[in-house]
Amino acid sequence: MPEPVATAALLAASGLTPVKPESPNAERISDVFWFITFFAIVIFLVVAVPLVVFILRYRNRGRPRHEEGPQIIGNTSLEIAWTAAPVIILVLIAGFTLYKLPGMSLEAGNELEVQVVGRQFYWQYRYPNGAVAINKLVAPADRVVKLRITAPDYDVIHSYWVPALFGKMDAIPGRTNEVEFKGTKVGTYRGQCVEFCGLQHAAMKNEIQVIPAEQFDTWVSEQASGQASGQSDLGEQEFEGVCATCHGDQGQGFIGPALSAATVSSPQSVEQIIREGRNKMPPVGRGWSDEQVQALTGYLTQRFGQGSQPGG
Amino acid sequence: MASRVETPVYPVPWYQGRVASWVTTVDHKRIGILYILTSLIFFLAGGILALLIRTQLIATDVDIFSRDTYNELFTMHGTTMVFLVVVPIFAGFANFLVPLMIGARDVAFPRLNALSYWLFLLGGVILYSSWFAQGGAAKAGWTAYPPLSVETVGNGQDLWIVGLHVLSLSSLAGAINFLATIHNMRTAGMTWMRLPLFVWTIEIYSALLVLVLPALSAGLTMLLLDRQGWTHFFLPGDGGDPLLYQHVFWFFGHPEVYVMILPAMGIISEVIPVFSRKPIFGYKAVAFSTVAIGFYSLLVWAHHMFAVGLGWGLDIWFMVASLIIAVPTGVKIFNWLATTWRGNLIFETPMLFSLGFIAVFTIGGLSGIYVAAFPFDWQVHDTYFVVAHFHYVLFGGSVFGIFAALYYWWPKMFGRYLNDTLGKWHFWLTFIGFNLAFFPQHFLGLMGMPRRIYTYTDSSWEVYNLLSTIGSYVMGVGVLVFIANVIWARRRSPRAVNDPWLGDTLEWFTTSPPPPHNFDKVPYVTSSRPLRDLRRRLAGERV
Repeated sequence: MPEPVATAALLAASGLTPVKPESPNAERISDVFWFITFFAIVIFLVVAVPLVVFILRYRNRGRPRHEEGPQIIGNTSLEIAWTAAPVIILVLIAGFTLYKLPGMSLEAGNELEVQVVGRQFYWQYRYPNGAVAINKLVAPADRVVKLRITAPDYDVIHSYWVPALFGKMDAIPGRTNEVEFKGTKVGTYRGQCVEFCGLQHAAMKNEIQVIPAEQFDTWVSEQASGQASGQSDLGEQEFEGVCATCHGDQGQGFIGPALSAATVSSPQSVEQIIREGRNKMPPVGRGWSDEQVQALTGYLTQRFGQGSQPGG
Repeated sequence: MASRVETPVYPVPWYQGRVASWVTTVDHKRIGILYILTSLIFFLAGGILALLIRTQLIATDVDIFSRDTYNELFTMHGTTMVFLVVVPIFAGFANFLVPLMIGARDVAFPRLNALSYWLFLLGGVILYSSWFAQGGAAKAGWTAYPPLSVETVGNGQDLWIVGLHVLSLSSLAGAINFLATIHNMRTAGMTWMRLPLFVWTIEIYSALLVLVLPALSAGLTMLLLDRQGWTHFFLPGDGGDPLLYQHVFWFFGHPEVYVMILPAMGIISEVIPVFSRKPIFGYKAVAFSTVAIGFYSLLVWAHHMFAVGLGWGLDIWFMVASLIIAVPTGVKIFNWLATTWRGNLIFETPMLFSLGFIAVFTIGGLSGIYVAAFPFDWQVHDTYFVVAHFHYVLFGGSVFGIFAALYYWWPKMFGRYLNDTLGKWHFWLTFIGFNLAFFPQHFLGLMGMPRRIYTYTDSSWEVYNLLSTIGSYVMGVGVLVFIANVIWARRRSPRAVNDPWLGDTLEWFTTSPPPPHNFDKVPYVTSSRPLRDLRRRLAGERV
């Protein structure tokens, strides 16, 4: 890695600069950061250096309290100067931000539109072909992905964000917000819910895996057909993304009770609980399609039902 | 043999008793002291909550508190510091100081003043009683966004709403009182351009409260009705809109930020000239920048909502309005700096906290420019970057100002000095601890750590969190030193003279502590520094 790139990566990894951007709009946000940082350092020095110099230079040095400094009550031209200079700097900052703004919208015409729904306490994605995914979004590289972000009427506000790819956007019940990104590098990028949404806010994580575009097309159609025929990993995704948050990675119980053969014996009662919620448990499966529910009940029966290995 | 002198026995009416006289008082000075001491007790409570929060976040996967408890901790910490500490303690300083500074006998409505204190105490008690409510204390954050705050089960949230309602009434009564006092009760010669700068900030503090508290009350009422009534103002399932609450709340909430910082700016505008032995540089600029900040603070509320999808049109407007506020703020900072230029700088504790204010508040102002640029705010909104930003403003600004005021006016309020050596320890522990606690949080935010999470698993966040927790403990030690200082002042401190700092303003003309009627007579005011004029006149110099 050449020197400057290594330094930039180090700065980003240590939090001194934003997470290294891997999408053109995140790149522009990072540019705004650097532009403001330049002026912030200048302004800080303009205040801090005189402050320290005056403290040292004009310190009391044993002078009596009643000895006054020169009784200067102001200076109009100086005061105009330090009103005007910030105005100029702020105009520059606003101007640069607005100059960078249009490119933060990545409308391209052939974008992949994915619906993102924030729920207590998971993210659900729906691809154009109907394939559903939980928490982990798979996206094609070098293609604009438009996220249509919302939350159901009966849920609360969440906020969707992957620091390396785009700025955050709230998932608000009754509204749909849009944000785009274009993953320029294959890889997995993490984020988590950034609007306080209740008990397990801290556990509401999400990630975006950017894969080569041609692989994506195959992947997404396999997902759709697999889910339609009941032959997919959707049930496992739902367990890990939705149930495990409160019932534990192994269903051993955490905030919610342990999952056992008895609790999952009746698919009807499982469906009722996930659709309606119970006590502290939110109705995590309200609004799910029958395929989604069956994927989960099937998975739970297989993992925790009669005859399965104890502890999964 | 010395003869015993019989103490004459007068019948002391019950309301002049040791405790009863404080309960029944309508004296602005006693009410001010009640306000300040009550706020300081809540400051300790809110500070303990903060230390518990920082302890939970000291490392990855710490499991000291349950999730519910953690959510209660940060909700009550924020609510306490805003509504039970910073706003009321300024009401306390304003109560004690405004009549003295403008040469008045008392505030305009002394009984209303007593009511506003007792409502404050009642509101605080209601809020803190929510710890014992069914379902625990409020846990939807100090902003209480619906639908979460509507769906939260238990009565903690309802007590939170009722407590804030009572506190709003208290602040409203207090604010009206200050406005009436400042407008009508200034002594002869005390024109607006001779008004102490602290009084200017209280004028704007009060005006803002009168303008925006009704919005808070409306929002809280709708929230309570959504929870307990049959309405759905904020519930989209029935045609309501959760964003309506955010607009109403921040229409109150952003001016509230300036309600909490302007009086601190007023305090250091009093302290810096006195400890520089110079007049304030550009009195009019400092006074008018206060007015400008107050005005623009009413136009920027939705910069708290850049991530809700307002649309670029509104985003741009709220960015520009927010950036404009940086101009009058910068004017103040440069004027304070220029005040110290060529002065005879005396580094006693009030001055240390004031200079510390300039240093850290500047950082808070600069991070404010970052978050005003809305595309960058999309990146750091609701992360620890914002937590760092508002603590630089509200602790580095407001609380540093509060400590400066306590050290500066303590001799006037209680007739005893706070110890300067202990004060210096207090300052340095606070200054170092503060920066250690909050500067690393900028980095956490840039790395993507959200606010209001009870734990985290990313080990790369651990170092900064550890530093932050250590810093918070150092600040805690600083507060212990302050408590020791208060005890020292009560037990050992020498009697204070009337004018220990050679001040500029009228409160130093009367005794320490002042008599119930404040002044036997008030000198005619011919400038913004009446006491300096008087000293020079007495020394035979031309004023």
